[in-house]
Amino acid sequence: MTPTVPSESLWERAKLTLNTGPTAYGFFTLYALICSGLLISNTRTSLATDVIFVFFLLLVLLVYRSSTHTFFKLAVVAFQLGVVLPYFGTLNPFYIEVATQAGIFVALALGLNVVVGFAGLLDLGYVAFFAVGAYAWAILSTSQITQINPAWMPLAPSAFYPFLFVGLLLGAITGVLLGLPVLRLRGDYLAIVTLGFGEVIRVLANNLDRPVNFTNGSQGIREIERPNLFFADFVRDTLGWNLTNQKLHELFFYFAVLFIVIMTVLVVTRLKESRIGRAWEAIREDETAAIAQGIPLVRTKLLAFAVGASFAGAMGVIFASKQLFINPPTFDLLRSINILAMVILGGMGSIPGVMLGAVLVTLLDLQLLPRAAAVLRDLQRMGLPIPAAFDPTQYQRLLFGILLVVMMIFRPQGILPDERRKEELAAGDVSVDDDDDSEDDSPPAAAKPNGAAV
Amino acid sequence: MALLEATNVTKTFGGLTAVNDVTLTIDEGRIVSVIGPNGAGKTTFFNILTGIYKPDQGTIVFNGKPIAGLKSNDIAAQGMRRTFQNIRLFNNMTVLENVLVGMHTHLHVPFWSIIFKLPSVRREEQKARERAREHLAYVGLDDKREELAKNLPYGDQRRLEIARALAGEPRLILLDEPTAGMNPKETVAATTLIRRLRDELKLTVVLIEHDMRLVMAISERISVLDYGTKIAEGDAQTIRSNPRVIEAYLGKGAADAA
Repeated sequence: MTPTVPSESLWERAKLTLNTGPTAYGFFTLYALICSGLLISNTRTSLATDVIFVFFLLLVLLVYRSSTHTFFKLAVVAFQLGVVLPYFGTLNPFYIEVATQAGIFVALALGLNVVVGFAGLLDLGYVAFFAVGAYAWAILSTSQITQINPAWMPLAPSAFYPFLFVGLLLGAITGVLLGLPVLRLRGDYLAIVTLGFGEVIRVLANNLDRPVNFTNGSQGIREIERPNLFFADFVRDTLGWNLTNQKLHELFFYFAVLFIVIMTVLVVTRLKESRIGRAWEAIREDETAAIAQGIPLVRTKLLAFAVGASFAGAMGVIFASKQLFINPPTFDLLRSINILAMVILGGMGSIPGVMLGAVLVTLLDLQLLPRAAAVLRDLQRMGLPIPAAFDPTQYQRLLFGILLVVMMIFRPQGILPDERRKEELAAGDVSVDDDDDSEDDSPPAAAKPNGAAV
Repeated sequence: MALLEATNVTKTFGGLTAVNDVTLTIDEGRIVSVIGPNGAGKTTFFNILTGIYKPDQGTIVFNGKPIAGLKSNDIAAQGMRRTFQNIRLFNNMTVLENVLVGMHTHLHVPFWSIIFKLPSVRREEQKARERAREHLAYVGLDDKREELAKNLPYGDQRRLEIARALAGEPRLILLDEPTAGMNPKETVAATTLIRRLRDELKLTVVLIEHDMRLVMAISERISVLDYGTKIAEGDAQTIRSNPRVIEAYLGKGAADAA
């Protein structure tokens, strides 16, 4: 232990200097400028750009965790995500696509976190709400609608903007519809039923092509409408940027996702700190005691389902429009599990944690593994004996599984746990450690989680 | 005036009649105890009063309104709060938050105001926190308000449960074995607190308790349950000399000897 102490204190001191006071402002400004400069000057999709990109995103986390002024934090994040990243996106479409995907999953993970993290209701069918939003826009905006009734016309591209709210609403309604029958269930039973519900939606999408063709079955729906670019003239004429429609759409989706993520963070944070957030937490802790405080169980749980599902519904609309094509396998169980894993990895109940989890998993999926595969291919070409069939992208699930297992062993509370939850697990460790006998003067609470009050 | 009137309340679980035709009237501003041997149906009776169980038969009128069959949270909202035999705090929330949850029925800012962070939200939250701290100060826990509930010593947990119940501004408070597991010093403190609830806050208090010294000292009226049936009722003196009560606690021989 002794030899590591000086280096540890050095590390601590460095951390303190870089996170507080005037040095912090200098450090983060410099960091932001260097990273942005490097990023913009490296427009090729390559390993180097990947690394810079990750450091670029890391800054957002670091500046959030630092003890600088809130305005400074906001300014740095706005500069990074609002200016540099979209500009870089016009130079290299791959990275803005990664950022958009990450944003979609951040919003989904935040939504699921309301249900699982706040209210403690394990939902394994969360992707169903995403599917509802996506299919609603896909069906109503394409010629698919004429399959239902030839007299009906597809929605105009400009309907996309109000349709975001329709997606929000559809998600919420579906959430309530799922919630109503299953709310008397708890724990494992609830998880199984929601899992079934997720599958029901997917199977419906798969089979609702007969007798009336609603969803076009397993073929999926193609050529989903994109929103009209009402700002195209402004960008081209006033700002003088000659961008193609494709690039403008990329930028648009990036900003739309960013907007929804910001809205989600605001809503979720405000709810968490309100009487409603406390009621959710109370229900998670002890249902019987929560009812005894006058908390209406059904209404409070339904609200959690509706709020969580609404973000997924709105994101579904954006997703369908961005992808241009959706089919039932897009919304399979694995995706629900994936979103749940983001929540758990980042830290259940913790808003920054869940966001970090979503970004990490998306980067792993879209960047790290394909990059590793590319590097391996290069090595192969150089003559290293790597079997041709070995492709890391094929082992995505395996790597992901290992990552989760390792996390559960070494950091079960998640990467950035909720402040209070961190305390709670730490306190749990103390009572588990037998060699720590000084802590046990006070008997532990007599209440058992499910001890009936009979 | 009767604040709570339970009439002919019966509850069976399968073949077991847990509460059998119990009639109990509780006058406003009294401290009333329900005693009886283990398994006599006391806690079941509490659970019926607070709506956790629905009675099979009988009526319950609280504050002039029938409440039998209502949901727990509705009954709580009408001003009847309780504590639990095996302390049920929200362990991983702070002491202050536990009390704030207790105030839930008194917080009314609508969902949309919270989402849009209207000024009314902060105002209500501010007021709620101040009120919650008053409740904590009343039971002597204000300096521990930022601690997690589960980290409190046992006696403090019991007091926090009472503070949480008080936060609902109830008219009637049901305490299920408030001194179970306490040492004599803590019991004395708890007894004082229960008296203060009635004397200072004008609450009506119903206790389930096994500590006979406490029961006899503070109850103005005692009801005795045995095998789900009310076998006796009266003040401490009457109950102490009632042969059926002695029989229920000590057996038939003891009753004959007395």
